[in-house]
Amino acid sequence: MRFRAKIVDLACLNHFSRVINTIAKLAKTCTLRLTVSKLYFILSDKVANGGVSMWCELCQGNFFDEFQMEGVAAEHNEIYLELVPDNLSRALRTAQSAKAVKIKLTNKHCPCLRVAVELPSLSSSSRIVTHDIPVGIIPRRLWNDFREPSVPDFDVSIYLPVLKTMKSIVERMKNLSNSIVIEANLSGEMNLKIETDLVSITTHFKDLGNPAWASEDGCQSSAQNRDLESMAEARIDIKKLQQLLAGQQVNPTKALCNIVSKRIVHFILLHEDVSLQYYIPALA
Amino acid sequence: MKCIVTGGNVKVLGRAVHSLSRIGDELYLEPTESGLSLRAVNSSRSAFASFLFAPLFFQLYEPGGRQPDRELVRCKVLMKSFLGVFRSLPSLEKTVGKCLILLKPRANRLVVQLHCKYGVTKTHNLAFQECELLQAVFDTQRCASTLCAPARLLAEAVVHFPQTLAEVTLGAGPGGKISLRNYVEDEAVPSKTMVTELRLADDEFQTVAVTPGSRITFCLKEFRGLLTFAEASNLPLTIHYDTPGKPVVFTLEDTVLEVHLVLATLLDPESDLQPPTANGVSHVPTPSDDFADDLESYMIAMETSAYEDGPSGVPPSPTFPLRTPRPAESDPEEEEEEGAVPGTPPHKKFRSLFFGSVLTPGGPGPAPTQEVLAEDSDGEN
Amino acid sequence: MPLSAQPASSAEPYVLAASLDNARHLSSLLRAVHFQDHATCFATANGLRVTVEDAKCIQANAFIQAEIFQEYTVQEESVTFRINLSVLLDCLTIFGTSSLPGTSTALRMCYRGYGYPLMLLLEEGGVVTVCKINTQEPDELLDFDFCSTKVVNKIILQSEGLREAFAELDMTSEVLQITMSPDKPYFRLSTFGNAGSAHLDYPRDSDLMEAFHCNQTQTNRYKISLLKPSTKALALSCKVSIRTDAQGFLSLQYMIRNEDGQICFVEYYCCPDEDITEAEL
Repeated sequence: MRFRAKIVDLACLNHFSRVINTIAKLAKTCTLRLTVSKLYFILSDKVANGGVSMWCELCQGNFFDEFQMEGVAAEHNEIYLELVPDNLSRALRTAQSAKAVKIKLTNKHCPCLRVAVELPSLSSSSRIVTHDIPVGIIPRRLWNDFREPSVPDFDVSIYLPVLKTMKSIVERMKNLSNSIVIEANLSGEMNLKIETDLVSITTHFKDLGNPAWASEDGCQSSAQNRDLESMAEARIDIKKLQQLLAGQQVNPTKALCNIVSKRIVHFILLHEDVSLQYYIPALA
Repeated sequence: MKCIVTGGNVKVLGRAVHSLSRIGDELYLEPTESGLSLRAVNSSRSAFASFLFAPLFFQLYEPGGRQPDRELVRCKVLMKSFLGVFRSLPSLEKTVGKCLILLKPRANRLVVQLHCKYGVTKTHNLAFQECELLQAVFDTQRCASTLCAPARLLAEAVVHFPQTLAEVTLGAGPGGKISLRNYVEDEAVPSKTMVTELRLADDEFQTVAVTPGSRITFCLKEFRGLLTFAEASNLPLTIHYDTPGKPVVFTLEDTVLEVHLVLATLLDPESDLQPPTANGVSHVPTPSDDFADDLESYMIAMETSAYEDGPSGVPPSPTFPLRTPRPAESDPEEEEEEGAVPGTPPHKKFRSLFFGSVLTPGGPGPAPTQEVLAEDSDGEN
Repeated sequence: MPLSAQPASSAEPYVLAASLDNARHLSSLLRAVHFQDHATCFATANGLRVTVEDAKCIQANAFIQAEIFQEYTVQEESVTFRINLSVLLDCLTIFGTSSLPGTSTALRMCYRGYGYPLMLLLEEGGVVTVCKINTQEPDELLDFDFCSTKVVNKIILQSEGLREAFAELDMTSEVLQITMSPDKPYFRLSTFGNAGSAHLDYPRDSDLMEAFHCNQTQTNRYKISLLKPSTKALALSCKVSIRTDAQGFLSLQYMIRNEDGQICFVEYYCCPDEDITEAEL
């Protein structure tokens, strides 16, 4: 098992840092899956996490100048690691002006992801900072636990409004309530609602647009025969939603959510080659 | 004592107080003929700092004040209250033109008066306690290794470590590389802790005269405090150190200012200079296990050895013969500790930052080794 | 959608209806008196007054004159209700506390009367938020009976000169002592904390001093914990008028200029803490 990669381009490095910061905000520990062409950060659906799960996928070619990996076997050319994303985020935090960042899998005292940062200095030689981030190697028999969740059979799929506006609204609502109802229809309308003994608040968004999903196998059938005006709704933990909105640093070019009535809200944030999916289950 | 600080020096004084506030809860003021000294020591006596402002730093400097006998009065005040006067550094710079410090022993008041913009004056009357000399004895000449670098280099180096990190290890590696690395406690699970190491080429330093392979571990918090001061003052920082367990001394010098920060270093069980350890616990490398008692009671024992009566020769190591103020002696807890000194080994193992080892019960008495905090009253020779 | 759903005709059943182009003009003033969860709102044809009290010793009033609003109607002589101020502030700032330049949150506020919720309609960039905040029976308010004819000493200061002083108040002191005098020290703020005492002296010829009308030497003490919340008003204001009456009651009037240059006022009244038995120097 081998892995080594290198980033030289500053823009790529900053973009990569923002992705990692986002992951660090959303998950205490996560799984890093490495394949020849892609990196995945995965938080699998555990009750302890409130049932939230995350799937973040990036193409290595858009970030790394060098990327070599060799999995456990030729027919299973993948590596699965468990790590604390905040460690990686911290290592990259002081690397913003780096000349180069190398990441490699090592096994000295324990398996580590070594991040070596070459920083400019006042002298002829560079300053080198290395961070040994402990990782756990996930054996192949457990790989099945980390498969990509399928897009749920949603009732409504809708583009999200400007995330900054949504973040501000959800932050105020969080001061007042523990749960939030998110509802949307196929006419581009979405409402955020809270209701308590003291206050009820509803924010109405319109003209958001509904993405067209290709129904290859008819699995998105729930949305197809739906009345365009009727709302699909789910009540979710407001803290989880706030975490996503406050934590995301990818500044997505497209953001959307899929609502399965009373079951789950599935968020998708897309930024060029990065996709982040986040699943928040509905409260009873 | 009466002194007046004006202009930009008010902010320098303020920054010094901020730096000292990282060390201890009390600020010691000692007016001397060679200047006003501000000092602090932490509660475990593992960190000591002194800022000596030369008379030229002041617009007016009268160490003896207007007392007829011109007896110099040393005093200490609560750090919090002194810091309160200089709390906001930006507003010090913006609004304060002049600062007057006046020690009034008769009124039992230390008066700090700030003359601000628009004719506004702020007068702080602080309670103080008279105290004896707070002095750490160290001789940077006897330190085997010396490093000198612009403060900015070191400030840029420590940003790679989290604010919560307690200790950092400084080492002289092969090829003249100077390294800094986060210290991971023995108890920490290696598979859980991220290890960060920074390597700097020797040509980034102004002076590198270090023992190859040497390394020391010290507390980062106090060091950061000094770095902030040094960086703002744009002064080079010199680091003097010796073997693990002996204090490291950081110095800053200017024509009107002399700063010393003395920090305990951990005994390093992995170091070649130390004997191997048993059960992962490092013991003091002496034939007789002399570090018998609790560090604090040991400290109290040392108080009896007066600084002036100490060895005439150069002290064997950076040490802290501390003479704590009399009022403190009435502290019942300390009295208890003092009573416990002769031959009463504490039950618990005491891990001191200063000694960097677990001290096991044994015989009492000061150790003849170097790892002492307080000076051995018998001297070494 | 909801905005247009409410016809702005005179036939609407609201005893109070008001609209404001920029909700921040209201929220920032309310934040200046937000030191307790609950507030009493009192609306007359002149405008809206929001009152917050604590410990039967301090009262803060934010005044928003009718002219500040683009539309303002009160159907009765006065309309009074009690409301949770924290909730009201969260609603008013639902689109964020610092809006981007060029954008502002428009507000329409209506109240049908006793037992009904306060309705807020907020709109920014085409997004509409509807809030219904429950109201309660109004509290009996303190009457400080502080009238300008009974004022003994009065000073008007530029707020800048007090801001740092209030920010750095020694909170280990139980009281803030205010001395106003025709003679030295003219105007003095003192604290007596764990670490010792501190005095802040403002000469009467200071450039900070806009007006100085002191007729007799007065030294009064006020609970520092009660005065500390006024720092919020101080931070927003450009000038502050400090007045005391013969009984030592204190009035702090803060003049606040909003982004559009309109002037509003926030006033704090505070009871003196105790008589001073011995003069502290």
